[in-house]
Amino acid sequence: MATKRKGSITELAKPAPGPKRAKPDVSSDEDDDDLEEEVPDEEEQGAISRVLDKFSFTGARERSEVPTSDTVSRLFKRDELSFLKMKPDHESRPMWINPRNGKIILESFSPLAPAAQDFLTAIAEPLSRPTYLHEYRITPHSLYAAVSVGLDPKDIVAVLDRFSKIPIPDEIVQFINGCTGSYGKVKLVLKHNRYFLESSDMKMLQILLRDQVISEQRVFTDVGDGDGITKESAPKMGALVIPGTKIAAGVAQGQQVVQPNGGENEEQKPETAEELFASVTALKEGEEDDDDDEEAEAVHSFEVCAEGVEKVQKQCLTLGYPLLEEYDFRNDSRNANLDMDLRPQAQIRHYQEKSLSKMFGNGRAKSGIIVLPCGAGKTLVGITAACTIKKSVVVLCTSSMSVVQWRNEFLKWSTINPDQIAIFTAENKERFRGDAGIIVTTYSMVTNSRTRSHDSQKMMDFLMGREWGLLLLDEVHVVPANIFRKVIHSIATHAKLGLTATLLREDDKIQDLNFLIGPKLYEANWMELSEQGHIARVQCAEVWCPMTTEFYQEYLNETPRKRALFYIMNPRKFQACQFLIDYHEKRGDKVIVFSDNVFALAAYARKLNKPYIYGGTPQQERLKILQNFQRNELINTVFLSKIGDTSLDLPEATCLIQVSSHYGSRRQEAQRLGRILRAKRRNDEGFNAFFYSLVSKDTAEMYYSSKRQAFLVDQGYAFKVITHLQGIENLPGLAYATPAERRELLQSVLLENSQNADVNSIEKETDGGFFDRTRGDYKRSGPLVKRNNAKLSGLSGGDTMAYMEQNASANRRMKVPPGQQNKFMRKLKSDAVKKARG
Amino acid sequence: MVRAIKGVLVECDPSIKAIILDIDSKTHDIIVENLDESHLIIKDNKVAELKRILEERLNEHTKVDSLEEEEEEEDD
Amino acid sequence: MNSQAMKSFEHLEGLSEAIFKRLYQQPATALAVFRRMLPNLAKTFVMAMLFNPDPVPVSSLEAFVRPDQNRLKEEAFGKLRQLYIVTERQGTFALDATFKVELRKALTGGGSPGSFGLPCDTEDKNRVDISFLDRYAAEQWESILHFMVGNETQSSQRPSEGVVRLLLHGKLMEQNRASGTVITQLGFSFLLQEVNSQVWTLLLLYLDMAEQLRMDPVDILHFLFLLGSLELGQDYDMKSLTPTQKGMLEDLRDYGIVYQRKSSSRRFYPTRLATGLTSEIRSLRSPAATLANATPGNDENGFLIIETNYHSPLQIAVLNLFARLISRFPNLVTARITRESIRQAIGKGITAEQIIDYMTANAHPQLRKNSPVLPPTVVDQIRLWQIEGERMKVTSGYLFKEFATNAEFNAVCKYADDIGVLVWIDKNKGMLFVSKHEQIADYIRKRAQSNR
Repeated sequence: MATKRKGSITELAKPAPGPKRAKPDVSSDEDDDDLEEEVPDEEEQGAISRVLDKFSFTGARERSEVPTSDTVSRLFKRDELSFLKMKPDHESRPMWINPRNGKIILESFSPLAPAAQDFLTAIAEPLSRPTYLHEYRITPHSLYAAVSVGLDPKDIVAVLDRFSKIPIPDEIVQFINGCTGSYGKVKLVLKHNRYFLESSDMKMLQILLRDQVISEQRVFTDVGDGDGITKESAPKMGALVIPGTKIAAGVAQGQQVVQPNGGENEEQKPETAEELFASVTALKEGEEDDDDDEEAEAVHSFEVCAEGVEKVQKQCLTLGYPLLEEYDFRNDSRNANLDMDLRPQAQIRHYQEKSLSKMFGNGRAKSGIIVLPCGAGKTLVGITAACTIKKSVVVLCTSSMSVVQWRNEFLKWSTINPDQIAIFTAENKERFRGDAGIIVTTYSMVTNSRTRSHDSQKMMDFLMGREWGLLLLDEVHVVPANIFRKVIHSIATHAKLGLTATLLREDDKIQDLNFLIGPKLYEANWMELSEQGHIARVQCAEVWCPMTTEFYQEYLNETPRKRALFYIMNPRKFQACQFLIDYHEKRGDKVIVFSDNVFALAAYARKLNKPYIYGGTPQQERLKILQNFQRNELINTVFLSKIGDTSLDLPEATCLIQVSSHYGSRRQEAQRLGRILRAKRRNDEGFNAFFYSLVSKDTAEMYYSSKRQAFLVDQGYAFKVITHLQGIENLPGLAYATPAERRELLQSVLLENSQNADVNSIEKETDGGFFDRTRGDYKRSGPLVKRNNAKLSGLSGGDTMAYMEQNASANRRMKVPPGQQNKFMRKLKSDAVKKARG
Repeated sequence: MVRAIKGVLVECDPSIKAIILDIDSKTHDIIVENLDESHLIIKDNKVAELKRILEERLNEHTKVDSLEEEEEEEDD
Repeated sequence: MNSQAMKSFEHLEGLSEAIFKRLYQQPATALAVFRRMLPNLAKTFVMAMLFNPDPVPVSSLEAFVRPDQNRLKEEAFGKLRQLYIVTERQGTFALDATFKVELRKALTGGGSPGSFGLPCDTEDKNRVDISFLDRYAAEQWESILHFMVGNETQSSQRPSEGVVRLLLHGKLMEQNRASGTVITQLGFSFLLQEVNSQVWTLLLLYLDMAEQLRMDPVDILHFLFLLGSLELGQDYDMKSLTPTQKGMLEDLRDYGIVYQRKSSSRRFYPTRLATGLTSEIRSLRSPAATLANATPGNDENGFLIIETNYHSPLQIAVLNLFARLISRFPNLVTARITRESIRQAIGKGITAEQIIDYMTANAHPQLRKNSPVLPPTVVDQIRLWQIEGERMKVTSGYLFKEFATNAEFNAVCKYADDIGVLVWIDKNKGMLFVSKHEQIADYIRKRAQSNR
């Protein structure tokens, strides 16, 4: 667990820190680097940090003096906790809790571990989940999330106590109470198209009403007591059925599937945290339906005017009572219903159900983020949420390619009328038919501040001029907070659901999402899903490639900025890549090779005679290459630049090889791994997908590599280091086997280095638009891409370049003049068209 | 006639050899014979010194330049 | 026997011929040397000669060895010569006469009574059983280790002055003006050893110190090897011991190697630490292991170390040698193994293998269910971190080049390989590098002469 995700209580307590440099020691705990990329809205930032400031363990830490017990005590500094008393029956309980920092260590081999894991996922941040010991941490954010899914502080402490080997320390109890005391107490509810602030605690509303900003936005109603505060009973999940779940199946068949005392009882293990409460604390069963106890279940509310909602939200944040947003969609009569349901064949998996039950726990829709690994069916979760709410939806994606994919998925899994789901991209600006419908678009389309075309503007007016039931935000981790602010302010929506695989950024902007979208509702355990066969099992390896003497000499003499190309183009790395491709193609694998560096991408692909795709590859050519990769038995390897990192669905791929990467980006590492998690063959007997990182020894790559792996290691992945590939010397046709060839390669690298000021010729295209060819719609730094284009045309023989590669581009072999398409390709095309039409 | 030369055989990665060559290119008093990509013979009184310089150089060269770190995130 | 214990014996191998000749006068010593200091092939050779009245031709010994195992053969002969066990004459080998007689006695049970200790012939009124002896040995031994990590207050008393002197003499600890007697890097490395190696290390230090005190090393070694052949649980009579050996008893009692009820008592009991001295099975688990189960709780990569039984400051001090300690609960310690922590440990003279052995020996029951016990990626990583610091492999020796003919080159290569000095070869360039040149030079000369 080298690099930690942020979220420590002490870290949070500080106001947004300035840029900090990472320490060279990769494995250091303190190795957190904050990289500012934009100045956040200072006012809001201040508000957030003030909220968090209120609760930290700092005070507690100073308060309690460490009783020094023996000679080694000093080695632990403040985390010397041997004075704590163990419970007599501690052996049967699975966890320890650290009163100093809220960290929890869980014995995952304990019989109670599965239940404890479920509970901890709901109330704490998972830090690392390898095989034997899991580490979690209770943070203000995690408690915010816990509260928002309806957990009560008393119950949180009670359940913690059940699982803990030591009595819950006072510091922890105070911390939980402190956080939950302010979080989630007040909800913003849109009901009958009026906004209400709602709370089960009358006093809380009175505090808010005393605030001038809030009281100014208040709308007086004639119902209720003299103070204008309305009282009614709390919402319950009641008859709400999430489509696709087991219960839904039962309802559809008119049968009672879940029978409390029925034969299926054994399978009905408590799954959600709420159910767990019931089973562990035995609190709920009697009380929940107890009519006499109405007072506890009652909620109070007052109305605020629609225009003032944002002001109120901000003010509540400032006061330390961030609002939870809930959407009472079943009572929303103003917005038209959208007639759609999940198709019968759409069966959602247990973890998808679990995540949705967090969202719809009390029969209303809560806003928040669901974290599932790539390939675990995030899209279906989004679609199911939409089918539950049954109101108009806006889906925001990162690229126009995923826009198309999202629409297709909606048509595949739901019964929505194709006319009612429209696409808003540079090429397509349709609306849906009828009162309610779905618009799928990209973040850049919505936030683009440049002058829009007439059509585009009309479309935006449409988006901004009406109310939406649900805003689905795909890949939330890639989009910076300021974009979200824009989106959220311009689209009026009742509920927001963010989806992502890795709630992880090298900067710290993730924290903002908690308040802009909502708390993290659910985070899946990768290893668990992999063991259950929902995502592919992956063997990860780091292959160490020695630098040749000549390349390393040049590396030594270069400035750090220009060193990269030497380790990327290292002939030994090239050979390793060639060897692995050969090995895996022979095994029947489909291989994707990733290179961020476009020069290297083209050089590798051409030398090995494989097709490649980068930002400058025309759309048609991209499609053709991908189709061939998917269906042509002769095309088993494709080279992709970083535009392939995300939003590219290639379930045929079973092996990944990284040749060059984006420094120490943990996110990119996770995203790339995600490309093979959905491998079609994942459920084959003994199937393993492979993930290789090729790393040049004694170069900065080694450092970056270990940094990159940190996230996956925390998820429980093990990286095996391969120092020698058995049999590589004997590979027929091994490239750069002679010193003369290696010299020639070195010359071309030197030339490339001298011609480009910035050798890290990485496309600035980023995660956006794999197929997003319309530059106007996406902010990107044009010059970089242009330079790449020039370089590549040079490679194809146009310029007087020293690069002597004679292989014709493999891409070209796939280009077929129009009209000469073979039958197979024509069929593919017509299939695709048919599919798109539904 | 067979010749025997006293010295210390160094077996190392090519990258390490690159560093040794680099060091030797300044003083010319280390290497006795350059054998192949991963072997060379050096004077036996230079071993300790060479090890020390090598350690320094390695730390230097695998260290990450702070400039690069700065470019960590790329989103816009 | 592990590599560390083996290493302790390198010290013995440097003893003079005269001392060895005297050592072999005791059957127990001859047997101990045979059991613990010889490689298997050498043992086979000894057995072939032991009951043979005549010297054995080299060729018939070589018949035991497969032609492709020349290196093993050279190693075995080398060891036998080094320990003065064999004498060579005109292509034949014979065992040293004394060694032969005494080893025969040891194996056939002949010789004078008491040569394998003299069991007491009277009943001990205060008889102690094996579990008592085990407890006693562990307590004594651990009090030394506790003292080393500066923790004598815990569960044990300060060891005797003799022990302290020995630790200082061996540079396992040193006098420090500020904090008194403190552990050294060498001492830390000592802590990581398996208990049998620790015992031998201390005893060899004892031997070293005894020589300075003009005690007879042969007397001492005889007694140590004798201890190794005694029976656990049996009480022995002091009267067959030499005065030097009687004096030693007091020190050995401090170490927990023997038990005596009172110093005036005429009977003594060997503990498991003694009887394990010359056997090849481990006597006790490493003392740390008997105290606690420190475990690399991390599986693949989390690099988290835990112990879920109970732990001692000794354990924690040892963990601190190679891992970064994070937090400590009453029954759990978390620590992380990092590149830095391993590199530091290696800087202190601790090896990757020692760390891996230690963690394996002390693994949590959950990990013990696995085979191998430790996750391979962790083990690999620790080894890689060690290798990282060994970027050049250096071998001193001689480069031979410019051979007149290919045949000559090939013949020299083969010879060099056979005698185990060949380090590097380049057939194309006709060069080879050898670690020792004398025999090669001889060989080239002889070959030149015979070809003439």
